[in-house]
Amino acid sequence: MSMLSTLSRDLADAVEHAGRSVVAIHARRRIPSSGVLWQPGVIVTANHTVQRDEDIVVSLGSGRPVPVTLAGRDPSTDLAVLRMEGTAVPPVERGEAADLQAGRLVLALGRPGPNITASLGLVSTVGSEWRTWQGGKVDRFVRLDLAIYDGFSGGALVEASGKVLGINTSGLSRAVALMLPAVTVDRVTEQLLATGRVRRGYLGIAVQPVRLPGGGLGLMIVNLEPGGTAQSAGLLLGDIIVGIDDRDVGDPMDLLATLGPERVGQPVVAKILRAGEPRTVTVTVGERTVSGGYSRGRGRNASARR
Amino acid sequence: MRALDAELADLAAELRRITVTVHGQGDGSGVIWRPDGLIVTNAHVVRQKHPEVVLWDGHALRAQLVAWDPDRDLAALQVPADGLPVARPGDVTALRVGDLVLALGHPLGVANALSLGVVHIIGSGLPSHWIQADVRLAPGNSGGPLADAQGRVIGLNTLVAAGLAHAVPVTAVARFFRRLAA
Repeated sequence: MSMLSTLSRDLADAVEHAGRSVVAIHARRRIPSSGVLWQPGVIVTANHTVQRDEDIVVSLGSGRPVPVTLAGRDPSTDLAVLRMEGTAVPPVERGEAADLQAGRLVLALGRPGPNITASLGLVSTVGSEWRTWQGGKVDRFVRLDLAIYDGFSGGALVEASGKVLGINTSGLSRAVALMLPAVTVDRVTEQLLATGRVRRGYLGIAVQPVRLPGGGLGLMIVNLEPGGTAQSAGLLLGDIIVGIDDRDVGDPMDLLATLGPERVGQPVVAKILRAGEPRTVTVTVGERTVSGGYSRGRGRNASARR
Repeated sequence: MRALDAELADLAAELRRITVTVHGQGDGSGVIWRPDGLIVTNAHVVRQKHPEVVLWDGHALRAQLVAWDPDRDLAALQVPADGLPVARPGDVTALRVGDLVLALGHPLGVANALSLGVVHIIGSGLPSHWIQADVRLAPGNSGGPLADAQGRVIGLNTLVAAGLAHAVPVTAVARFFRRLAA
């Protein structure tokens, strides 16, 4: 058999193999979105495609739709987790973390209806840890070079061997196709199954980067939540934060990076400039309360994405 | 890897020889169906009785429109020729999602542009009879071949909808020619 025919057969086998674990999720108007049987009885999907909290059903092929329950959602990484009882749908087979390399030939699988769909491409970039615009931690920045069709978000990214590398989403970037690596999906899924939410630290401030007199950048507090944890600790409007614990902060993302779930309830030491004078203020990190429900206003935006 | 490259180059060369340029209603492509000069293209590519057809070797020929079916978007052209290389039809029923496909045509006036992709969706429940492929097409690909990994023609690239290439299956082309012969 020719190499091209062998490759073609391998790719079709990969779709068939991994496709058995990719389901259609009916939780929005118009077309269904995709989800992946990540572990027995647990489906992972893209949060922005789950536009309601109840009356969610999933289907596989022309089979009867099965009702599922929402275990939790994490808008910051655009992941949502559903529980499905008594199912014969097999969980995906995972790829090795080491297989996640730029240049790897991959297929994006989706199921925006009864039939499985595929698009072919490459892993375009594998970068380091990054924060989404909502502050979610994603362990590797994985950009894909492939076409995005209906059903892309919440679908699986598979290698030519049929093993799954992660969950695809178009909800975290306007321009490019991204994948959430398996390690991130595991971590978020575990938290959502355990507590129904992903805890995030919160200080109750809005900041703006400003140039410091002596060079470098700091973050000026431009809004302070009344009664919030920062205000209670004595921070004032106009204070410039230059460091948290022993790290410099010059970008709002630096601040977000200090507010992971493990910091909730813990004290952090903020180095600030107040009226030009350096000071330190100890702040206890609060917990951000995000409404678990689906916000209509944001949804209209989100539903335009695939 | 070199072997894979050589295979792709061979397939591209074979597809190039069976693909013609059709100067009709704008520029499109066509596929040689019989060695005696019978060519299939899309109905939307040709609207006139005598479009010009250019073979892979640059020969320009005056064609005769012998059949035109706008419902199936197919047209048959006859050129005065003999011993032309012809398309090998593939097995549409054997296609699976993820199978590699190759498209050849003249997108936006670029001669003999090849693109690689995969079958996007297969299913009896689909509302259309098209072959849908994740492969990059542009105007000018119309009427050109969509081939499988062995270079066998499985469809005629016809339109792009929702970003997806849609091809008339080669089975529909065969039926079209059977009706023509009858």
